[in-house]
Amino acid sequence: MKPQPLIDSALLEKLERLAIRWQKSFPGLVGGHNISHFAGSGQEFLDHRQFHHGDDLRAVNWRAYLRLEKLFLKMFQVEPRIPVRILLDCSNSMATGAVSKFDYARKLAASLCYVGLVRLDTIGIQPFGEHLGDSFLCGGGRHRFIPAVNFIENLKPAGRTSYLQIAREFISKYPQRGLLIVISDFLDDAGCERPLQYLSDFGHELILVQVWANEDREPDWEGQLDLTDAETGATLQIGFDDAARRNYIDAFDAYARDIQKVGLRNGGRYVGISTATSIEEAVFGPLVRSGGLE
Amino acid sequence: MFFLNLSLPEFLAVLGSLSSVVVALYLLDRLRKHHTVPTLRFFAAIEKPPVLKHRRKLQQPWSLLLQLISLLLLLLAIAQLRLGSPARYSRDHVLILDVSPWMAARLGPNRLIDQARLAARNYVNALPLADRVMVLRAGVLATPALLFESDRKKIQQAINQTQPGAASLNLQGALDFAQQAQRVQAQRPGEIVFIGAARIPSNEAEAGRLDPPSNFRFIPIAGPTEHVGLRKISVHRAMDDPDTWEVFLAAKNYGAVPRSVPAVVNFGGAPVATHRFDLKPGVEESYSFRFKTRAAGWLEARLPPQDSFRQDSRAVLELPPRGIVPVTVYSSEPDLLRPVFNAIPGIQPNFLPPGKYDPKVRTGIVVLDNFAPPSLPATDSIWLNPPADKSPIPVRNIEASVKLNQWLADHPLGAGLRARDIEIPSAEIFRPAPGDITVARAEAGPVIVARPGTPKMVVLGFHPIRSGMKYQLTTPLLFANIVRWMAPDAFRSWELTAGAAGTVDVELEPETDPNNVRVQTEDGASLPFTIEGKTLRFFTADPGIVRVLAGDRELVYSLTLPQPGDTVWQPSHVKVGLPGRAPAGPASRDIWQWLAIAGAIGLFADWILYGRIDQRIRAAKGAPPSEFLRKAS
Repeated sequence: MKPQPLIDSALLEKLERLAIRWQKSFPGLVGGHNISHFAGSGQEFLDHRQFHHGDDLRAVNWRAYLRLEKLFLKMFQVEPRIPVRILLDCSNSMATGAVSKFDYARKLAASLCYVGLVRLDTIGIQPFGEHLGDSFLCGGGRHRFIPAVNFIENLKPAGRTSYLQIAREFISKYPQRGLLIVISDFLDDAGCERPLQYLSDFGHELILVQVWANEDREPDWEGQLDLTDAETGATLQIGFDDAARRNYIDAFDAYARDIQKVGLRNGGRYVGISTATSIEEAVFGPLVRSGGLE
Repeated sequence: MFFLNLSLPEFLAVLGSLSSVVVALYLLDRLRKHHTVPTLRFFAAIEKPPVLKHRRKLQQPWSLLLQLISLLLLLLAIAQLRLGSPARYSRDHVLILDVSPWMAARLGPNRLIDQARLAARNYVNALPLADRVMVLRAGVLATPALLFESDRKKIQQAINQTQPGAASLNLQGALDFAQQAQRVQAQRPGEIVFIGAARIPSNEAEAGRLDPPSNFRFIPIAGPTEHVGLRKISVHRAMDDPDTWEVFLAAKNYGAVPRSVPAVVNFGGAPVATHRFDLKPGVEESYSFRFKTRAAGWLEARLPPQDSFRQDSRAVLELPPRGIVPVTVYSSEPDLLRPVFNAIPGIQPNFLPPGKYDPKVRTGIVVLDNFAPPSLPATDSIWLNPPADKSPIPVRNIEASVKLNQWLADHPLGAGLRARDIEIPSAEIFRPAPGDITVARAEAGPVIVARPGTPKMVVLGFHPIRSGMKYQLTTPLLFANIVRWMAPDAFRSWELTAGAAGTVDVELEPETDPNNVRVQTEDGASLPFTIEGKTLRFFTADPGIVRVLAGDRELVYSLTLPQPGDTVWQPSHVKVGLPGRAPAGPASRDIWQWLAIAGAIGLFADWILYGRIDQRIRAAKGAPPSEFLRKAS
């Protein structure tokens, strides 16, 4: 039986009219599509400044020199090419649920990758669990999408999540600041608020995409439960009833609210998506509304 | 109150088993369920997790109780709990009425069948009103007159229309049929009742083959004890004289005291024989005699009608006339052929000169001696040495000094002909067409050829009297074979027998070809038969005449002589006589429908209140999305 493609061609056609947007101004080489307040070799005039030794003579405003006999340098607004990195959670917690969150996250990552490639962005796909895994870098057009999809399809969920560890590894591995899209369930027993804050403080712009299954937020079980943590293997025996279910949902929502705060307070964005939502609805709905795509 | 389908121990055993299964499933359903979750942090956040120490404590006792009660109601419905007494419950009975010929015997003013009908009506009246009755008429075949019916008028009508038959009683067949009917058609089997004289053949009674079922009731109808009747009468032509009939007569004393009975045999109203049978109890004697007649007529054997069963006191057979085949011989030398044809019995030869040839003769056989008529005869013909150019069988050549040395021995035309090396001074050698039969052959070719069809034809390429065959025995045998082949009906042997309807066994001659055997009724319709070895067997339930045609032999059976059974069946260990009258009042009442409905309602209520519907509704409602989630999405 032929394997089901990760994303069908109809969705890809629709994705072509989207582009990944970021809010921060990053320095970088020209070629991007988001305006930066850093001056560079752009087309749009930004300002004048005094000429200093070593400046490019081609940018000197010779008309002003003839009139004032002083050297002024013209500065232009640059649209830099910014690295877009997609951090994809590959821990065991993503493999739970009736509809696998991991499969959903892979499709979402592939969709964002395609949007970036169409706009000639440089996309880095970085799987992670307890540590950063082998990454995949692609750019230069849509024809690079197939290798990216193959890389995503070959990913397997394993191990546990340690956001603190991956924040350290990421900062040391990628010194250039850029847009960081984190697709995860953000379920780390040690908490992920501080590591995400570190990444933001380092200068990255965060788009946090929280994926959850319906039973993650609202378990429909009843009675005596024997629960096992998918990542740590820890067990818990409880009696589960309507009151316990309500408490559970409140705790889940509170945690998701904390993640949202981390994303928004540093100029980033937050999107919470249930696996019951189709990929197309997720992309053209919450992700576009959040401003991450337009 | 009683169960129809289950006994009380069975009911309790099934209820206990099912209840155990339900309770086990209930506890299993409420066992701790194992789940793998992405994180335990939110479960740990639940205040005071209600961990239960007693895992098997009943969570929803009302659900279990509702299920058990519903199960009990459904099981009661399956067991068909009934209100009332089992004695009042309707059952399906089979009423077997004896319709053997003996039931036509009289005892006092009434016939036995009248007594049987009265007993049957009494039996039906003794049954509860809701009981259903099948009326089965038992003769040689078991024929249902009415299927299971509770309408008393229809039952009475079926009983009143029952009449004695012509064939003897096959009691075991009737019992088997009744049991099969109860198995297949009865809702609740009742009794199998036999009402009749129960006279059966002695071989059936002695073999002990009769096996009444456990629910059998026997209501005997007492009949006359003393009776003498004809058992068999058969007639056939004597072998030495076709005009003489040999008659065989047998009579039997069915009673318990010796009897001396005169028998008279009349033909055409005139007595041809009388004989007195001195019969001891249970003994059958026979008497044979001969009488001579060429005429057709009725042969009647008669015993004095002095006892109560008169159907077998008289038997009548119709004797056929003796067939004579006219043979017209056209010959200019009739004296040569006269001895040959005069020696053949069953034919009437007429010698005429060739000039008086009449082509309009359409009956009998025509012999053409040494001449060919202008037109072919319309009837069967024998050609003797015809002119070579006018022979009906083309002549190949004419040979002198021919030696006849081969006969077609396996054909009726050559049967018994074995003479060899017969000298023939001159003979025509024929060229037979396909389908022609070469009866005799010389070295040069066929000299006697037969052509079957209509009309038949035999051509001899020489004159037998003028050849070396003149003094041979072969010559009259050859002509006898030819005449018999052309007119087989005239030479068919007859045998007439009077007997009883039912199964008839016929002993066939050893040389009889089974492919040529036919069994026909009086109106010419074929009757199915079997041949096992040399015994032909056919069956007819109706009285009448059946003809068995076996080659040149015809057996006529006049199946109009009833045969009462030899012995009266007296079963043991069965219920005998009419039952007591059933208690009045309505029959017990079914309530299984209400029990089934109540059980279904109970299960449905449990499903609504505690089952999956509740869970689905809860799941469908779900928890309301928080404000934060609405913003996040």
